[in-house]
Amino acid sequence: MPSVIIEKDRCKGCELCINACPEHVLAMSEEINAKGYFFPMAAHPENCTGCRYCLLVCPDVAIQVENKGKVTKRPDALTEKGFSYCPGCTHGVIHRLVAEVLDELGVRERTVGIAPVGCSVLAYEFFACDMQEASHGRAMAVATGIKRGRPDLVVFTYQGDGDLASIGMAETIHSANRGEKITVIFVNNAIYGMTGGQMAPTTLPGQVASTCPTGRDVNLAGYPIRVVELLKELKTPAYLARVTVDDPKHVLAAKKAIRQAFKYQLEGTCFSLIEVLSTCPIGWGMQPHEACGWLEENMVPYYPLGEVKVPEPAVVKAGS
Amino acid sequence: MAKKLMKGCEAIGEAAIHAGCRLFFGYPITPQNEIPEYMSARLPQVGGVFVQAESEVAASNMLYGASGAGCRVFTSSSSPGISLMMEGVSYMAGAELPVVIVNIMRGGPGLGGILPSQSDYFQATKGGGHGDYRLLVLAPSTVQEAADLVIDAFDLADTYRNPVMILGDGLIGQIMEPVEFKKEIKPEDLPEKPWATTGCAGRARNIINSLYLDPEELEAHNWAIYAKYQEMAKEVRHEAFNTEGGCDVLIVAYGTVARITKTAIEMAREKGLKIGLFRPITLYPYPTEALVKAAEGAKAVLVSELSTGQMVEDVRAAIAGRKEVAFHGRVGGMVMGPDDLVEQAEKLVAVPA
Repeated sequence: MPSVIIEKDRCKGCELCINACPEHVLAMSEEINAKGYFFPMAAHPENCTGCRYCLLVCPDVAIQVENKGKVTKRPDALTEKGFSYCPGCTHGVIHRLVAEVLDELGVRERTVGIAPVGCSVLAYEFFACDMQEASHGRAMAVATGIKRGRPDLVVFTYQGDGDLASIGMAETIHSANRGEKITVIFVNNAIYGMTGGQMAPTTLPGQVASTCPTGRDVNLAGYPIRVVELLKELKTPAYLARVTVDDPKHVLAAKKAIRQAFKYQLEGTCFSLIEVLSTCPIGWGMQPHEACGWLEENMVPYYPLGEVKVPEPAVVKAGS
Repeated sequence: MAKKLMKGCEAIGEAAIHAGCRLFFGYPITPQNEIPEYMSARLPQVGGVFVQAESEVAASNMLYGASGAGCRVFTSSSSPGISLMMEGVSYMAGAELPVVIVNIMRGGPGLGGILPSQSDYFQATKGGGHGDYRLLVLAPSTVQEAADLVIDAFDLADTYRNPVMILGDGLIGQIMEPVEFKKEIKPEDLPEKPWATTGCAGRARNIINSLYLDPEELEAHNWAIYAKYQEMAKEVRHEAFNTEGGCDVLIVAYGTVARITKTAIEMAREKGLKIGLFRPITLYPYPTEALVKAAEGAKAVLVSELSTGQMVEDVRAAIAGRKEVAFHGRVGGMVMGPDDLVEQAEKLVAVPA
């Protein structure tokens, strides 16, 4: 019989797993864990089908699933250190996906990741590969330096919306335009999380943030920037896709896109950038599951999901 | 190897290749465009890579990445561009990354002008970007010396895991002189950098970083890099010229002004005035002890710079009130003639009427 294994001291009590479980297997504990959070327990283990939805949405890699004698495991490309993200923040899901892809492609030991400035400034503590910490917005310039000097390495950046689309926009456009053979993981949560919820270049029209307390006024701040659509217009071949991680199915699609992005790098095909719509429950002032719903209702219509640009086969041949 | 007539900028580029450097990231700015132009043609011939960055900010961060991945790498720019690079420079100092940065100075502040200047002395020797750090700064006064110092700069950068700056001016960059390259280092012969991010196979992972959120850790880091700067003191270099047996006036000057001083020395000799030259080659660390010694035998000390007075502060700190230290500067791209220096020197030793 399939079963859910909960590493309770990693849990921050966001309850996303409980919302994701279609069979109502999980319920919150009455005791607290070492961090001081209530955590999920298998209240109805007999209902578990081994679907892994709980594992897929858990932002703290606190859940593994046993099914038919096989147990899922924490990716090798993640360190043991618990994430520093707020409860329910989907950064952790994206970290896990990147780590799983590095493991599955067998490239962890020749990968260099670049952490940005923003909520994921400490990403170098979480990815179990060589890492560099960039200054604000310059991750792709740093990646360019590494990749041009050592083309044998697999190089990825992990950046937020302020880092990539505001202060680092020049580096973003020019790295894409030069066709740097790097992979960019772009986390768009429509807000500056780490500095306390200020307006981002991707904050939605009317969305309240601490520097637009009456909502983003597009007459003053312009419209939120659709990064992948902007980059699509460059003639240089690229792989550009937008995904989200607000529910289990989207998490699976996100992983597929991230994997494809790294594959294009490994083949020397093109620049690749995956925009991941992410939640910021604290910055948005919502419960984690409400944040997922808000993302679906408000962000997805403005930021449509899917592959926005794929390298053309003829160009692939010429470049490989 | 036979001597070759080369422009300063081109000799700097060729010297970097002789030092085993195969990577250049930069952005065009006058008066140093011959360096990126030279590198864009030469690097592909030797299996290297030239990238014209979107800005000096980006270029300095490309240096960070490449150096962090264990590569010898360099860039060049001129004053306004160097200001933009200061972000990356501060991070490289913090993350202890060896790179070589060439500043062919022009007049400022702001856009200033495009003619020779020495107005970035403070920026180069006192840090330049934010945070408590120093660069090792070398100031050539001939094309040959520029080539020699560039080659040495890469080794010094690696030894101290610190950015090294070559501080020249438009004249050194543009002048043509015979030059030979004293050695050729092949990139494959360079020692491994075990701290670099080259993939973690078979070892613990490496992290290139300047973030220390714990104040105790950051303080320890600050003192550790400070200790490194103290250790750099053993790298001091200078030239003392015409100072044997003392002199009437000791002129302290670097780079182009030191060249002019040598002509002034000849002119003064005809007038029966003995001028000596003290020329610091390392601007940081500053050759303080040697300067004090040279100044002992001089009746007067005159500092001359293409600035309103920057290095003069270090000279006055070294002399520490033991002698008057006079100053003569030209700015904005204007350059003093040797006759100006003779006139200034004569004033200092004139017997009051």
